[in-house]
Amino acid sequence: MDPNQPVTENYANPKTCFFHVLFKAAALAFYILSALFIDNFVIIFVVTVLLAALDFWVVKNVSGRILVGLRWWNEINDLGESVWKFECLDQESMARMNKKDSWLFWWTLYLTAVAWIVFGIFSLIRLQADYLLVIGVCVTLSIANIIGFTKCKKDAKKQFQQFASQTLASRFSSTLSSAFSVV
Amino acid sequence: MSHSDTIPLHPSSQSDIDEIENLINASPATVLPARPPSPPRAQIPVSSSLPPPPPKPAPPKPQPHSFPPPLPPPSSSVPAPPPLPSSRPEIAASGFGPAPNTLTEPVWDTVKRDLSRIVSNLKLVVFPNPYREDPGKALRDWDLWGPFFFIVFLGLTLSWSASVKKSEVFAVAFGLLAAGAVILTLNVLLLGGHIIFFQSLSLLGYCLFPLDVGALICMLKDNVILKVVVVCVTLAWSSWAAYPFMSSAVNPRRKALALYPVFLMYVSVGFLIIAID
Repeated sequence: MDPNQPVTENYANPKTCFFHVLFKAAALAFYILSALFIDNFVIIFVVTVLLAALDFWVVKNVSGRILVGLRWWNEINDLGESVWKFECLDQESMARMNKKDSWLFWWTLYLTAVAWIVFGIFSLIRLQADYLLVIGVCVTLSIANIIGFTKCKKDAKKQFQQFASQTLASRFSSTLSSAFSVV
Repeated sequence: MSHSDTIPLHPSSQSDIDEIENLINASPATVLPARPPSPPRAQIPVSSSLPPPPPKPAPPKPQPHSFPPPLPPPSSSVPAPPPLPSSRPEIAASGFGPAPNTLTEPVWDTVKRDLSRIVSNLKLVVFPNPYREDPGKALRDWDLWGPFFFIVFLGLTLSWSASVKKSEVFAVAFGLLAAGAVILTLNVLLLGGHIIFFQSLSLLGYCLFPLDVGALICMLKDNVILKVVVVCVTLAWSSWAAYPFMSSAVNPRRKALALYPVFLMYVSVGFLIIAID
């Protein structure tokens, strides 16, 4: 082991990580600061919800793909039923994913949802129904992303297990058949 | 004296081994144990999937000794997604054949795809199309961005037109429209209709577009008669746009039950527009 080798890896996608965090932090920061400086509820609502929606889109479509290699969406098939689709990179690529990236991804996802819920509790205590509306929208968006990606991850794990067991079975049988042909 | 090594095998056992060898040499793939044809991945979507699927356990070629082929093409690597020529303008619901890989497409493609989806949904829902085929099928690619923008825009317009209590007006408008869309969808579902929750939300949101236009006109011109006329026209347009989807979703005898609340909601929004001063 080369002692000069860097032991910890750096972020593999710093720009994506930055954007992933940017909109979340902006929405939370705007919400907090606006209560101090801005008197107009409409502006607070529109800007906060817009930032939260942009964050939802970025996480779902960009950082989910790049940082953890997962993607989820909903489709309506020809029979008119709604189908949730999950997609992931293959196993080798998933194993190569940068640990720091995925750590950042998941932790910021959870922390944002928790932060919004805490603000929601404050608003509830203060009986501000209109701010509760804002928070409701932001919480819904955060939780939707969490649920989507968690399901996607579970689905990916299940497929990898299936794939591994099939590989084992096929290797076993090919070993057998090679044994037979030698005989 | 043991001549075991020279004793010929029993004829039947010899032919058994021959049989097995023939099987192996002829079609090696069939010798493999019964495994499911391919991993039934939930993600073989009609519109997007991985490119050549990841190493399958046995390639369908006569190579009984080969192990899984090497990694798929470097299209699924981590650092910078290579710009695959992947995006199609809209996700067709019947995409057979090699579907684009949305996991590694560049960001701009995703943006373009979503934007074009919004535009096509809007055209499909709102604009008159006498040759519309199955109305229930439109909005298969539902999205909530369009409804979001229209609801916020309507709230903003109403709030701007109001001279007092602007925040309440906005909150009321937004809450009314959002909750109304949810309740209307539940109404259809409870009537035994076949509609998908998000598709219906999306539809009701897009059908607000005419009312948005009406609200904008009313905000710019403050004449009461003009307001009434404009609101009536846009109200009719919105209801007309929502009609095919809603009616195709329920039992024909319950059409009115499903459509009346929609009409009611749009009428109340219309009143809000007229009454704001």
